[in-house]
Amino acid sequence: MVKAPHAVPRVIRAVLGLLALLLTAGALAFTAVPAAAAQLADPTGSPSPTPSATAAAQYAEIWVRVASDKTNVPSVTVKVTGPKGYAQSFVTGPDGKVKVDAPVRGDYVFTLDVSTLPDKTLGPAINPLKITISQGDQGDPAYFLLTPGGASTNPGSSASPSPGSGGGSGHATDYFSLVSNLTVNGIIFGLLIALASIGVSLIYGTTGLSNFAHGEMVTFGALSGYVFSGILHFPIAVALLSGFVLGGAFGYVQDLGLWKPLRKRGVALIPLMIVSIGVSLALRYFYQFLFGPDQLVLPVPPGSTVAFGPVRLRQIDIITVIICIVLLLLVAFLLLRTRIGKATRAVADNKALAAASGINVERIIRIVWVGSGALAGLAGVLIGYHQSLRWDTGASVLLLIFAAVTLGGFGTAFGALVGSLIIGLLVNLSTLVIPTNVQNAAALLVMILILLVRPQGIFGRRERIG
Amino acid sequence: MDFNFIILAIGQILAPQTIAFALAALGLAVCFGFTGLVNFGQAGFMAVGGYGFAITAVKLGWPLWASILAAIVAAVIFAFILGIPTLRLRSDYLAIVTIAAAEIVRYTVKTPSLTPYTGGTDGINGSSNSFNSINPIPTGHYGFGILTYNQDDLFVIIVGWVTVAIAALFVWQLMRSPWGRIVKGIREDEDAVRALGKNVYWYKMQALIIGGVLAALAVIINIVPTSLQPDNYGTQTTFFLFTIMLLGGATTVLGPILGSIIFWIVLSLTDGILSLLAANHLLPITQIQQGPVRFILVGIALVLIIVFRPQGILGKKREAQFGA
Repeated sequence: MVKAPHAVPRVIRAVLGLLALLLTAGALAFTAVPAAAAQLADPTGSPSPTPSATAAAQYAEIWVRVASDKTNVPSVTVKVTGPKGYAQSFVTGPDGKVKVDAPVRGDYVFTLDVSTLPDKTLGPAINPLKITISQGDQGDPAYFLLTPGGASTNPGSSASPSPGSGGGSGHATDYFSLVSNLTVNGIIFGLLIALASIGVSLIYGTTGLSNFAHGEMVTFGALSGYVFSGILHFPIAVALLSGFVLGGAFGYVQDLGLWKPLRKRGVALIPLMIVSIGVSLALRYFYQFLFGPDQLVLPVPPGSTVAFGPVRLRQIDIITVIICIVLLLLVAFLLLRTRIGKATRAVADNKALAAASGINVERIIRIVWVGSGALAGLAGVLIGYHQSLRWDTGASVLLLIFAAVTLGGFGTAFGALVGSLIIGLLVNLSTLVIPTNVQNAAALLVMILILLVRPQGIFGRRERIG
Repeated sequence: MDFNFIILAIGQILAPQTIAFALAALGLAVCFGFTGLVNFGQAGFMAVGGYGFAITAVKLGWPLWASILAAIVAAVIFAFILGIPTLRLRSDYLAIVTIAAAEIVRYTVKTPSLTPYTGGTDGINGSSNSFNSINPIPTGHYGFGILTYNQDDLFVIIVGWVTVAIAALFVWQLMRSPWGRIVKGIREDEDAVRALGKNVYWYKMQALIIGGVLAALAVIINIVPTSLQPDNYGTQTTFFLFTIMLLGGATTVLGPILGSIIFWIVLSLTDGILSLLAANHLLPITQIQQGPVRFILVGIALVLIIVFRPQGILGKKREAQFGA
């Protein structure tokens, strides 16, 4: 281990720089906390990656009764689907009721599972029920009245009749719309993961570091977006730009202050990985220290939704898709067609050879850190809009990012894209068959299984794994 | 001002949590410090062992020895599941797969459909019944001042520290044996050991199993006086264990134990000092902001230890290179 005497002051200088950067963000947050608190808590609550979601602010109530004598019907299963891939089953209690927490406001579909009814001669008058749950609703009624023969003999007795006739075909179109919604959400989420994971892959390719603090770069971008749009009320474009620019600056500062000095000291890769864990832990809880443990809200512009068949997209979803695709194409172009991109791939391939052929390896690594930080930061803001924003937003998607990178093949930028799309779709579509809270587990499990058969990932090369 | 927190901090030496983390960190040292396996799933081993113990003891009513055996078997099975796909691959793969597997365990036990067995997010209470039923210590209060323990607390503390002592002795003897020399050889140069005709894969697997079993035993000491909570075994627990192990010395037997004692005393002291300063308005932070401070400190400590003293307090520098 070569000891560089000037490395220590540099470390300190950089840590100070980093703190300064964060403190400015934090100071901004502090001055505007009342403003933020006064805002409506927009229910951007996400069913997916936040492991310990707080209790939902609004809920609906299912109540199953027999129409003739108003007796309550217990242990009936009701499937509930809603926006952002929300899909859960509920079973009515002894009073025929069950409370349904809705993490996100929007349109929910309540489908009573007729096969779980104790008396098969009775059926619900309207099934499925469509209910719009609004912000802060306490107990929206999702009441099923059971009548002899059910929907087929007694259509539309009280509320808007469902199009078509039989409950069966209604169920089928429902399932189709659910699947298409989940697929579209999966693709959007996959693109977001891709944006964040390119950085992980490139940093790994050029430096060998598995950066466990990458999730904090994502959160950093998201929080700077929050400071600009949630607190200072700048338009959404400024929030996105600030995530991108400040994220890049954060990447620059990190490499300048921490990773470059450590490389110079000759710290081996596994200790570097542990350093990144320490950085991740410290940063993540520093965010919590500054912004508090609760969910933060990025104000979504009140644009109209656009319907593509059964799929409804908000304006921000469409912006997200466009930004992701443009940036991913740009990264591909940079990597394949420009000198810097070529040099980056050369460094990733063989550092010594690249240095010998006149490439400034340290400069390339610096560029990679800046680019990774910028992409992660932007991904952070978009994830904040798409799902939820908290101090641990980035940490909660970190393992999915790693899964995507591992799936695609470590150190390959395009593998990361394909891996991300697979993970995004898996996380969303798996909710069709398994409970929502294990959807991330399913994605991680698939990663482990693929490692069993193809350890180098889809696009990786064999020699990298040994 | 109330300075009781100093006594409470010193009392951390006797806290079951300290004992449990010492034992789990010792297991981690067998994996990481001695064998060089980057096991980021130690919390997963703890969770698996804990559920193996609690489900059999509380839900199925097995006797104590059978529940302990179940915890050990669960950890061994978990080690095989993790080891078979990853131990042939480079170390980062083991790191990512173990951390992912630990999270899978945590997500899975929280599934509503498994609640009858795992207790869902609430975890499992009452693991202490079978353990306390063999308590020979007469009922009463022991200790002095605010460090007073009842017979059950005292029993856990004694059993815990005896277990740690036995485990430390076992690991110490193991590392002096030919087996220990081989795993240390694997840490330094895997190919060299393979060239000597040793089955590196199988030795790594054995190290992973020993580390996992120690974690499973540790968690029993942790949950008997309290309860089993799934969210206590998230990734941050693994990182606490890494900090503890590296603080004391990853390549030593006594290091993780010393590390655990120092770690919990320091955390307890900082909590106490922060509360004191915040309560007397000497520090401009709120009650809510006190929580994250300990994590920030742990993160910074982890970075500083790796950068400035990778061998920890007790270790030798030449043993702590961990070149990948």
